[in-house]
Amino acid sequence: MSQNKNINLGYINLFNTHIIPVKFNYHAPQTLEEALNLLNKLKDKARVIAGGTDLIVDMKLRRKEPEHVVSLNKIRELDYITVDSLGVKIGAIVKLRKIEKEKIIRERFPALYEALKSMASIQVRNMGTMVGNICNASPAADTAPPLLIYNATLTAKSLNNERKIPIEEFFKAPGKTALKEDELVTEIFIPYPPQDSHSTFLKITRVGMDLSKVSIAVLTKFNGSIIEDIRIALGAVAPTPLRIRRAEEFLKNKPLTEENLKIVQEIVAKEIKPITDVRSTEWYRREVAKVLVKDALMKCLEEEGGR
Amino acid sequence: MKYVGKSIQRIDAFEKVTGSAEYAGDIELPGMLYTKLLLSPYAHAKIKSIDFSDALKVPGVITIAIGEDFPFRIGLYVNDRNILARKKVRWVGEPVAAVVAENLEAAEEAIELIKVDYEPLPPVLDVRDALKPDAPLVHEELGEYAHSPAFNPIPGTNIANRFVVKKGNVEEGFKKSDVIVENEFLMPQVSHVPMEPHTCIGQYMKDGSIKIWTSAQSPFAIRYILGYSLGVPLHKISVYVPYVGGGFGGKAGINFEPLVVLLSKKAGYRPVKLELTREEQFMVAPVRQGFYGKIKTGVTRDGKIMAEKILYVFDAGAYADYGVNIGRAAGYSCTGPYYVPNLEGESLTVYTNHPWGTAFRGFGHFEFLWAIERQMEIVAAEIGMDPIEFRLKNALLPGLTTPTGEKLREDAGRIDQCIKAVAEKIGWGTPPVKITPNKIRAKGIAALWKAPAMPPNAASSAIIKLNEDGTFLLSVGVTEIGQGTVTALAQIVAEELSVPVEKIKVVPFRHTDLTPYSWQTVASRNLFMEGRAVIRAARDVKEQILEVASQVLRVPKDDLEIEDEKVYVKGRPEWSLQLKDIAAGYVYPNGNTIGGPIIGRGYYVGSRLTYLDPETGQGYPALKWTFGAQAVEIELDTETGEIKILKLVSAFDVGKAINPMLVEGQIVGGCVQSISLGMWEEYKYDKNGRMINPNLTDYKIARAGDIPEEHIVVIIENPQKDGPYGARGVGELSMLSVPPAIANAIFHATGVNINNLPLSFENIWKALKEKR
Repeated sequence: MSQNKNINLGYINLFNTHIIPVKFNYHAPQTLEEALNLLNKLKDKARVIAGGTDLIVDMKLRRKEPEHVVSLNKIRELDYITVDSLGVKIGAIVKLRKIEKEKIIRERFPALYEALKSMASIQVRNMGTMVGNICNASPAADTAPPLLIYNATLTAKSLNNERKIPIEEFFKAPGKTALKEDELVTEIFIPYPPQDSHSTFLKITRVGMDLSKVSIAVLTKFNGSIIEDIRIALGAVAPTPLRIRRAEEFLKNKPLTEENLKIVQEIVAKEIKPITDVRSTEWYRREVAKVLVKDALMKCLEEEGGR
Repeated sequence: MKYVGKSIQRIDAFEKVTGSAEYAGDIELPGMLYTKLLLSPYAHAKIKSIDFSDALKVPGVITIAIGEDFPFRIGLYVNDRNILARKKVRWVGEPVAAVVAENLEAAEEAIELIKVDYEPLPPVLDVRDALKPDAPLVHEELGEYAHSPAFNPIPGTNIANRFVVKKGNVEEGFKKSDVIVENEFLMPQVSHVPMEPHTCIGQYMKDGSIKIWTSAQSPFAIRYILGYSLGVPLHKISVYVPYVGGGFGGKAGINFEPLVVLLSKKAGYRPVKLELTREEQFMVAPVRQGFYGKIKTGVTRDGKIMAEKILYVFDAGAYADYGVNIGRAAGYSCTGPYYVPNLEGESLTVYTNHPWGTAFRGFGHFEFLWAIERQMEIVAAEIGMDPIEFRLKNALLPGLTTPTGEKLREDAGRIDQCIKAVAEKIGWGTPPVKITPNKIRAKGIAALWKAPAMPPNAASSAIIKLNEDGTFLLSVGVTEIGQGTVTALAQIVAEELSVPVEKIKVVPFRHTDLTPYSWQTVASRNLFMEGRAVIRAARDVKEQILEVASQVLRVPKDDLEIEDEKVYVKGRPEWSLQLKDIAAGYVYPNGNTIGGPIIGRGYYVGSRLTYLDPETGQGYPALKWTFGAQAVEIELDTETGEIKILKLVSAFDVGKAINPMLVEGQIVGGCVQSISLGMWEEYKYDKNGRMINPNLTDYKIARAGDIPEEHIVVIIENPQKDGPYGARGVGELSMLSVPPAIANAIFHATGVNINNLPLSFENIWKALKEKR
């Protein structure tokens, strides 16, 4: 089959879904070792599939035409959620819906819980995985801001190596990550947030079930009226989901006064780099990001007992 | 009544929820071929040459067709459409060539090898620009097109139809007005987004006859137009329509059926199937027209509308074969459900280089009611009158005249009752409430009306057969597109013949060789018209049953009664016959037989409808007017523009609810579509007229989570005497006027008037920002 190179009609065909017209080899290894062997051999000729909610769409649109597709779905050893004294570990093929239903997530990681609950539809959450959501590296990935504020760590494995990647170092550009071509994210580790901290997730969409125009996750820990720990992360407002360190530094050891809130809003508006696209304008995204920063911080403050 | 007025489950429910119902896409025929279309990347361009020699070499490709292969024009009201683009392309997405192949993979590969040389022409991408004298022409040959006498295309312009309505003296009316208010309104093009995209199969037979299997609303319209355009007699054309997975007007008239038929002939008489993808559905299939409106209203201080000057302009896109009737329908209903003594209305259907427009549930009305119901709110505010009071003061009540001079019949529906009902249920009269510094709750209402937009001679018919075991078959031409009419018709048969609904089968497909005629499944006309035809067919059956029974039971016909599947002598139920014993003729003990198979038939056409005067628009266009009103309570976030509909109230005067559960279902479904169209749906284009959101990722429609938490449905029943059991249509009506109710609520919350759709959060936010 020919590749989609015909510029004359490329416009329409880039929009159209197709029967996947290119032949590809499908691999369904049973063990992690087999999978890593395959990746070691195939390198960039292979694409990894778990839920398929992103990859299949891209293949039908012919945005991606891999020669090999490596499915992780038969690898039982990647299907786990374990809880220990440090935090939660989630395997690569755990479905979003399953994570959302986990009691510990709702109780200890409310921002992640809210993000999961807001994603797509239940049907899609029954298919998709959180590791997939992260590895797809969409700027609008809903689980990214919560994982950023919880300081999650990814375990990346290749045939001969294993390394831990802090989530903040993982996203490089839209669709681009720190992963090497023979590496696989096998696990996300999310440490418990500090005792007595509060966290929340908010997003603006067009309709109820939709991609985010802007999303935000915030974590606060107050000591009296003073903010002792603060983490702010936004999605869909820059080439990657990002922590707003300057805003955090500003707020640290200060009370959440109206004046400080305003300054933080301005810092956030300066730090983000939203674009205008078919879903929204740069202007709206920037303005609404400011509103979300305020709303999220106020929500945390309310949970703290209001001051 | 035993069956009419009861909320029985729809008769097709089991088939549909178990997935066994048949749709056009399910049909596979021996030797079937598949087609894929090459679409124009230009909004307006000359086709200089097409080279498909490489494409023909792809294994599995049978044939490739281009516009010049099919020199026919087609169209429902104006014959303006090509089968495939000829000489030039008129919108981004117009089919330029079709590949027919053994399988879709081959067809797709071949499509990419076709080389087309275009010479771009300046496109017309705004309907207001299309009206300028120096605008490029979308159809240079408009004067040559055949068209129905009800329409008035203006050759040498982009105007496909100009409809004018004149009543009273507008200048005088404005002189008598204390306040004159003028506003402009806009609405984008939108898609029907049927769950089942357009799908059809065509086969040209070697004997010159034609077979079509299609997902379409109107099999008889397809047969007629195809016969007319190709010069094939109607008895040689068969159109088969199974269940339709949503139409909403987009599958009315004729669409891709001629293409697959002609491709079949070119491909050696094998059947050819076309199934659009979702993205093609957005770009290739017809859309709802865009709309621009300008309304000038003159009103007295005490709230009487004295005069109105109205201009509606419909962005028909590249073709207007059906679209012309949309402008006409909006024209003759242009004032909304209000009495306007002095009126000058003009409604134009205008060609542009946008995708081609067609019918869309409630067509013309969803569009102009947005304008009228916003204008009513603005005018009421100008004169400091409560908007409910203002509407009631000008309500079009029985005895008053419509824009076309039709005196509203005594038994017409009551707009005043609808408005009062929603005002009461929404709790009208309380001011907006600030629940947080940025969140305001407010209410808004809007009213509506519509009559079927159809030619005066639109007809319906029905056949009822009595089977040998006493069960019945009802055959009607109305297609089942989700609306549920056939269930109501079965209830009518049950009532008329006193048999349980379970013993009546409505034939689940339409086949023009077997099915009785129906003009189209559109316009909220079918319960009314098929309903009347069905009553007549049932009475015909009854008459035939009584004829035989009176001989067997030896009493005159009028002494007989039919009940519980028996015919018996009144007062003597022991002297009876079972219906099954006379279904195919009554057999005496010695073998003598009288009577024969019982087949009842009935028809219906509207009474005393007329064409409208071409100069003044005066006449009788309306089979019946259905009235209704919508009210919402919203919560608006003034910082982000987000709104939530907390509560929705809908009231419709349906005359008689044959099946209240189905009426409510139609109203709930229609309102969700209305919210969706009002708040999110929109064709977005780049500067070259290319749609940039042709997929459900970026063309957002309402989902389950967007349905209002509380929806109260009020069914009002002022029966119309010539309706079946008093019923009027409501199918389309349910999706009218929710957007203006929302915008009116935003106005009450903030004082900001939003006159352009959609009411997306971002657009609301922008409007609020601009005010500050």
